[in-house]
Parts: sequence; structure tokens; C-alpha cells
Amino acid sequence: MKTQPEILMVDDNPADIDLTSEVLAQSKSHFHVNAVNDGVEAISFLRRKGKYAQAPVPDLVVLDLNLPHIDGCEVLSNIKSDPALARIPVVIFTTSQADSDISRSYKLGANCYLRKPGNLPEFVAVVQSMAEFWLGFASLPQKEKR
Amino acid sequence: MANVCERADRGVEACQIAVRIVQFSRDGRLRTLTISKDALSLGLAAQCELGQGPGPLQTSSGLGAVPSIGSAGAPEVASRGLPEEAYEGTKRLRVLMVEDEPADVELVVRALRQAGFETTADIAQTGEEFTDLVRKNLYDVILADYKLPNWNGLESVAVLRQEGLDIPVILVSGALGEQTAVECIKQGAADYVLKDHLARLPEAVRRAMRERKLREDHRQAQEELARSNRDLEQFAYVASHDLQEPLRMVATYTQLLAERYKGKLDSDADKYMHYAVDGALRMQKLVQDLLAFSRVGRQGMALENTDSNAVLQLALLNLEAAIQEGGAIVEHAQLPAVVADGSQLVQVFQNLIGNAIKFHGSEPPLIQVAAGVKGKEWVFSVADNGIGIAPENVDNVFVIFRRLHTRAEYSGNGIGLSICKKIVEQHGGRIWIESKPDHGSIFYFTIPIKAMPKQ
Repeated sequence: MKTQPEILMVDDNPADIDLTSEVLAQSKSHFHVNAVNDGVEAISFLRRKGKYAQAPVPDLVVLDLNLPHIDGCEVLSNIKSDPALARIPVVIFTTSQADSDISRSYKLGANCYLRKPGNLPEFVAVVQSMAEFWLGFASLPQKEKR
Repeated sequence: MANVCERADRGVEACQIAVRIVQFSRDGRLRTLTISKDALSLGLAAQCELGQGPGPLQTSSGLGAVPSIGSAGAPEVASRGLPEEAYEGTKRLRVLMVEDEPADVELVVRALRQAGFETTADIAQTGEEFTDLVRKNLYDVILADYKLPNWNGLESVAVLRQEGLDIPVILVSGALGEQTAVECIKQGAADYVLKDHLARLPEAVRRAMRERKLREDHRQAQEELARSNRDLEQFAYVASHDLQEPLRMVATYTQLLAERYKGKLDSDADKYMHYAVDGALRMQKLVQDLLAFSRVGRQGMALENTDSNAVLQLALLNLEAAIQEGGAIVEHAQLPAVVADGSQLVQVFQNLIGNAIKFHGSEPPLIQVAAGVKGKEWVFSVADNGIGIAPENVDNVFVIFRRLHTRAEYSGNGIGLSICKKIVEQHGGRIWIESKPDHGSIFYFTIPIKAMPKQ
């Protein structure tokens, strides 16, 4: 049986986490959103450290760039340099439009870079199509047993 | 005393200098000093501080870095001859002499002291010594002999330029040909004084220092202006950039509220939510446009050979929806190739044509784009058959945030045309309007004709 897709959202803005969860809750696929608020938490979650020992392996990481403690780029390079995690698609989801952020993210192995839209209709469209594409249409490597 | 050679600007014509020298000679006022060298050496040796060790200096002038070096010599504090205080009355004057003849040094120092300068002089006999000294100390003026055994006094001008120092160099030399004199001024020497004619030296020094002070003031004013412009642009950028994030929260969540609770509260609530959403979205557009405005100056220009026909096509493509919606017809003549930042030029056309569509009259908008040569510029025109602009407002339309209509009549935030103005002026052009109410408007802007600078 196909399990519920797990999304890890890394964002220090609770309003964006709520809005994204809200949008995904309304979609037909039943995504499960796990949210953490900074880069350190994100790495603990992915490595199943401490309170995240039972955390699911996410099928998609939605990652903000401007994060406290460890920023998004560092989380990204942690994921992409770890053979156990590298297969997980990482979507950068941020307000930054800077060319430097975009090119750096792709250099570090980001699978997609999306700018957070400024109004609701666009936000809904972007979040829904992102989830549908990466968790529906895209063929991805199988999860390794762990 | 007559001037052998008036201090002339660097670009001065050779003939002007030559004329002055000739006139001087005809006046018969060229004479040699009657005091013999020996007499001077005896009488003045005590006053002449030959090869004085550089003392620690402090300065507020900001001219180059002045390392304080701990050598012998009384500390010389801030009163060093800053141009301001040095060119009138009894003032301290720190001189660097490029000279190999001690007696000549004495003569020069004496001439300056007699004129009221409290003079101290260091001496450089070689290029190495010279470079070393100007790096260590701050001098008010450099007095250089034209010919030394291993060193040409004029080379000091080149060294100063290399070191980024603005210290006037006055050549103090035996008779030079006029060719050489002209060459010296061309190379950047401030003045040229004959050794036989040292009485003219103090005035030459005063003038050279006055001019240096003027250059310094001018440079400071320009730097200040550039800095203040940068600050302003930086401020606009940061403010508009940082406003976007909280604004995004307001916009999306008021929209979410409106979507979820529309028709579930009362009609007042629906109206209020509409106001909140509308305000947030308008502010968002404002902030984005402000960001675009500040970006024009901040990012500089990528000048390239640009086909304005292609530029116009891009602008029309971006305006496709507005053109269709407004039923607008855009006609254009063959447009020239110009040296410009293509994407900025797209923005100019887009804003001008977009405006022409927006401010249409009772007829469907008809917009005509053309260009012609006038003098050294291309003059572009964008003409429409819209509502036109009252004469008293033709300048106001370019002022940022200036709107001539209520929001109910026409949407917009009054940034579009100020962006056009900024872009055109950044290209070295001008922008203006000819218009009559109800008779349409013609927007003109110019782009200087020039060749692409070679890489």
C-alpha cells in the first residue's frame, strides 16, 4: 500500500508554515507536513537525532534560505553530501530573488528554486503544483531501508 | 615681479606659455640675483634645515595614509600647513626639495621665509629618496630642480601620480627652453620658477596651494554627493526590500480571511476585508515599483549596441494584455540602433506606451513611435491621442509619486514616468512632453549618439 507522502518544511516563519500546510491540506493527495523552524532542527530531523528518533524519512524537503543558527544553504549541502539523504528532492522556497542565492542553491544541488509569491492565489498555485510535481509526477529513486 | 610662466592648467596651449615667456623677455625684466652664492651660504646656513629628519605628523586632511615614524625631531602637530591656513600670512610650510645643490636649497628657503612662510625643507636627491619621503611625510609643496645627475625633477610628478598624492610640484630651475617649460606644465607641474628669479616663488607657492585646496574641496564635494546618492538609493532599496516580507504576510492572510469568511459575516465585514486586501495589494505594487526605481541607479548600466526595433517589440510583448484590452493600435517607424542598456530601454518604452494606453480618450488609443536625429542625439517620440496633460503639469508627471488623477479614475502610483526619467538621464539623455488637454501627448526622449567603447 502506498504510504502518505511526508514533507519536511524548514521555515522560521510560522505564518508560511501554516499557509503551506493549509494549502496542502486542501489538495487531493494527503500530504503530511512536518515543520521545523531552524537549520539545526532540520538536520536533527533528517538524521533522526534526539527527539526526532522516530521521525519519518521525508519524501520532499521544502527549505527556506534565511534561517537562524544554520542557514538553508548549509542544510542543503548537508543533505546533498550525505549519501543516505542525497536522493531526497529539496525545493528552495524563499523570498529572496537574488541571483546569487539562486545560483548558489543550484550549485549545492537544490532540485528546484521557488520564490514565495506575495499574494494568495499565486501562493496556492505554487505550493500545489510543487507538491503535485515532486510527489506525483516526478520519478524518484526508491527509499533505502534504514 | 613679472611671471616667467604663469601657472597654467594642464591642457594649456603651448603658444600661450610661449607668449608669456617672450613678453617677459621683451620687458627686459629678466635679471639675475646679485647676491653671490658664497655670501648666502655664510649668512643663511643656520636657517636652513638641511635633510631634517621626518618627524611624526598628524593631519586631518585625509590625504593619503601618514605613518607616524619615530625618528628624531620635535613632534609636529596638526598645525602643519594645510592649504587653508598656509597660503596667507605667516604660515608653516613643509617643503620637499628635489635638489643636489645645497646653496640653492638655502636660497629657496630664504626666499620663502622672507615672504612669511615658516619653512622646513627635506631634500631628495634621487628617485628612491623622493618616493620614500613622500610616502612618509605630508608636504605642502614640492620644489624640484629640472635636471639632477640621476633624476629628472619632472619625474617626481609621475611618482606623485603613482602614489595617488595631490601635492603641487613647482619646478625651480635654471633657464629652460620654452619647449621644456611647456612640457613640464603639460606633464602636471603646477608652475615653473627660474632660480634667477626666486622672488616670484612665494606667490607661485601660494597659488599652487590655493589651487590644490580648490581641487581638494571639489573632490570632497563630489565624493560627498556621490556618497549621499548611494546612501539614498541604498535606503530606498533596503526599505522596499524589507517591507516586502511583512507585506506578503498581510496580503496573503487578508486574502485568506476574505476567501474563507466572505458572506459568512455581515456585509460591512466583506467590505472591510475588501479594503484591507486592496490596500495590501496596492502597497505591494508600490513597494515593487520603488524597488525597480532604486535598482535603476544601483545596478548600473550594461551598455551595448541595441536595436531599438527589437526593444520596442519586447515592450509591446510585455504590454500585450493591455494592448488587447484597450483595443490599442501601436504604429512605429524604423527605429535606430543605439548604445544603451537594452532592458532599461524596454522599460522606458513599456512605461510610455502603457501610460498612453491607460490615459486614452474617447477614441481607441492610437500610439505612434518614431525617432530622428537632432545634433548629436537620437530623439525618440511616443505620441498618443489620449486625454493629454495640462500645461502646468507637464513637468509634474516626472516627479516620483506624483499623480494627476484620483485612484478611482486611473490606477497607478506615480513611479512609472520617474523611472523613465531616471533611465534616460542615466544614459545622458533628456525626457519631456508636448501636450494639450484632449489633444493627446507626445513624449520625447533623447539618447546620445555614440560608438560602443572598445573593450
